[in-house]
Amino acid sequence: MALIKKIGMRREGVPEEEKVPEQPAPPATRRVQGPAEARPAAPATRPVQVEPAAPSTPSAPPSGEARLPTLPIGALLQGRYQIEAILGIGGMSVVYKGRDLRFKNVYRPCAIKEMIDRSPDSQTRTITLKNFEREAALLATLNHPAIPKIYDYFVEGGRIYLVLEFIEGQNLEDILEASPGPLEEEQVVGWAIQICDVLSYLHNHKPEPIVFRDMKPSNVMITPDNRVVLIDFGIARIFEADQKGTMIGTEGYSPPEQYRGVAEPRGDIYALGATLHHLLTKSDPRLETPFTFHERPPSTLNPKVSPQLEAIIMKALEYDARQRWSSAAEMRAALLDLAHLDVAVLQKEAGRPRLQETGERLLWSFNCEEEVRASPLVYNGVVYIGAYDNNLYAVDAESGKFLWKFPTQRGICSSASAWERLIFFGSEDGNVYALNAQSGQLQWTFRTAGPVRSSPRLLDGALCVGSDDQNVYALDLRRGEAFWNYRTWGPVRSSAAAFGGNVYIGSDDGHIYALDVRRGELQWKTRTGQAVVSSPAVFEGMVYVGSWDGHIYCLDARSGWPAWKYRTGNRVTSSPAIRGGRVYVGSSDGNLYCLDARNGRLIWKFEAGTFITSSPQVAGDRVYFGAGNGRIYCLMADSGKEVWSFQTGGPVPGSPAVVEGVVYIGSTDHRLYALQA
Amino acid sequence: MPFWKRRRSEKAPTPRRRGISFGLASDVGRVRTTNQDQVLASLTFLPTPGGPIPLGLFIVADGMGGHAGGATASMRAVEVVAAHIFQELLLPVLHGYPPEAIQDALREAVYEANRRILNEAREEGNDMGTTLTGVLLLGERCYVAHVGDSRLYTHGPEGLRCRTRDHSMVARLLEMGQISAEEARHHPKRNYLYQSVGQQEALEVEISSFPLDCSHLLLCSDGLWGSLTDEEMASVLQSTDDPQEVCERLVERANEAGGEDNISVIVVALPVAQV
Repeated sequence: MALIKKIGMRREGVPEEEKVPEQPAPPATRRVQGPAEARPAAPATRPVQVEPAAPSTPSAPPSGEARLPTLPIGALLQGRYQIEAILGIGGMSVVYKGRDLRFKNVYRPCAIKEMIDRSPDSQTRTITLKNFEREAALLATLNHPAIPKIYDYFVEGGRIYLVLEFIEGQNLEDILEASPGPLEEEQVVGWAIQICDVLSYLHNHKPEPIVFRDMKPSNVMITPDNRVVLIDFGIARIFEADQKGTMIGTEGYSPPEQYRGVAEPRGDIYALGATLHHLLTKSDPRLETPFTFHERPPSTLNPKVSPQLEAIIMKALEYDARQRWSSAAEMRAALLDLAHLDVAVLQKEAGRPRLQETGERLLWSFNCEEEVRASPLVYNGVVYIGAYDNNLYAVDAESGKFLWKFPTQRGICSSASAWERLIFFGSEDGNVYALNAQSGQLQWTFRTAGPVRSSPRLLDGALCVGSDDQNVYALDLRRGEAFWNYRTWGPVRSSAAAFGGNVYIGSDDGHIYALDVRRGELQWKTRTGQAVVSSPAVFEGMVYVGSWDGHIYCLDARSGWPAWKYRTGNRVTSSPAIRGGRVYVGSSDGNLYCLDARNGRLIWKFEAGTFITSSPQVAGDRVYFGAGNGRIYCLMADSGKEVWSFQTGGPVPGSPAVVEGVVYIGSTDHRLYALQA
Repeated sequence: MPFWKRRRSEKAPTPRRRGISFGLASDVGRVRTTNQDQVLASLTFLPTPGGPIPLGLFIVADGMGGHAGGATASMRAVEVVAAHIFQELLLPVLHGYPPEAIQDALREAVYEANRRILNEAREEGNDMGTTLTGVLLLGERCYVAHVGDSRLYTHGPEGLRCRTRDHSMVARLLEMGQISAEEARHHPKRNYLYQSVGQQEALEVEISSFPLDCSHLLLCSDGLWGSLTDEEMASVLQSTDDPQEVCERLVERANEAGGEDNISVIVVALPVAQV
């Protein structure tokens, strides 16, 4: 059947061939070489469009098939319609602009559609002709301002002609193409309401509903007075129904069930959803993987789309027809509700909410005597944190009460780690310290030849730490003796990660090193453009790390080859956190990035507008970090929407620890904060 | 005794059963007159401070489009992708420079093949195109670039597993539960792809990567997977240790099943304990 399909027609004994879901589709990839369709030359005003081709489909040259000659300009049909111009040429039809000469004193234009039936089989031709007549008759009974009127229908010179109302204006595909970006929500909602109106008219047709079946931007004309008219009711489609080479697929707008031959009103609702999605995102569904709208809701491509409109569209795009709007009228009502709201207000709501809570969020704060740049360790109910007053503090996690402090000779920016009854940390005085976690008593020290800014990490039974003396050390946990050291060509401020028998660590010499964890032998090193201060994270056999060259790297753990890299706008000092297949990392360009760990694609970024050297921590469905503006942020991990932020008195270069619903983090305002997560 | 001494005296991990080896076969089948498939298999070892690691490039391309077009497209795709990968990844490493990011290089290689074929098709006035499934094997991981409906399978303890998605409408309908696997297998339009290399400008290359926790990689055109079930393919894989023998037997079986299409297959046997 053609694009207008009467439900229940199968019962009327429609020939078998028509039951096949003939799917109008642009000529994209085809395995069987079918007739190539040339894209019609696009005039500025194209009243009726025929066989629109996908915009980026290569203009396939005619595949040697002889085209029937078009009528010359000035030709006369039925002694009444004079051909004035060719509006479009498709594979199956030609559309002319004509003038009706019967109205001698007025200029009365019309659109004349000429069908080309290339079917070699005369019986097929007869059937298609009969169906065409029936469809033309059906169209003639329709009366709606958004449906072009049929004036005439005749056969002449062995060809079939249809004379239609000439529609001034531009179709939505051309409007979208001419627009530099997506179309405005307010405008789109207005059109959508009109489209729902005409679909509702078709779907409520008696005795049987009519399914348009080919809702897409190129089939919607917008007249100069902003009225919607559906065009190309697709009568020509009858003729190409079972033509060899016609393929299902790439349509992009059609609902999944249509590919099973099911055509019902809710299919038009899906196609309208797809059309609206296209208009609001300028992302052509014919070029995307079929049926993937749910992977890319409009707001992910155009943040200006309001959540309300997005919800309406996504409901129309449900794969299961029963989950969609039950009727065009119902969808129209939802759109009308939306249109009555102030669109500007909606769009503001689409932006991130700025909630600021201060009073209740703070559980306690603890005063050090100098800046806190290190990250806290929470171990057995105690928070351990170093400060630039040279002390390592032990503070009760619950109350923030001072327990003890251990003085070193210089400032501390290294973060502690714990093992059994010991905690370990480095100091700018060049030592690595091991203290009794409870009493703060010194157990051992290990002396390096430069400040220790790297944080010691427990790897495979050893303590691994870097020093500004350019070495990476592996120390005995109990005694602080070195198992091995490996010399790089710059200070090592990065902290180590381990995987598969290797230790991964960065150096200010710009390399990321993989060392054998047992012997400290080099396995590989990969060069980045600048210092690697960020600490690697390992996830599923890949090493993730930032560099001062501005990139976030994902390296193959075995070979050190980068699998992907992502460029940020400035140095990356922050260390990546990996959770749920996503990489969270800050950059000095002022953004916190959330990337897909598999391919480095940006999922979202949060603009803090100030440097982020803090390494984000993910807990539950939220991500926490500090920023150069003195704020501590809590974002939703899936969307990057801000949940809360907390203002401290100085930049927050350190990273939080999130334990049992409490965020512990230090600030350069000398304080250690405990905040309600 | 300090623990590092203990560690040093420990034995190295269990020695590997075998090295990496591969086989390949490409056959015209029993119905077609020309073979429009193209395959490439290349294996080398990269020197690294930690020891040599294997670097393999394996590609299957299934050309389409009338006359000689399909064969030209698949040949060009394999040529361009291989040249790009060697140029951007292997040569820099041999020169001591850091290589391009692997996934970016793979994607760009396919884009370049796409551009080249599009241009050639325009000049010659045809609509040729090709599928392309390429695997870069590096150390203990592989990186995959994929467009179309050729497939990559892994075979391991859990059996045969397809690691690529067919870019066909039928596959999407199947994924969405609109049709059954059986319906998909016999769907009259199962050959229609929604994207291929060389037939549209906008191309979404499927890039993936996974650790080699399997005993075999199997790349093939639809002439193989369309003729044999997963069980049949798995049983042939298990029938012999020689990957070349496996390839030849697979082609033979597909021909026995009718050989309706060109049949191409690459089998890589990996150095892990066999199941």
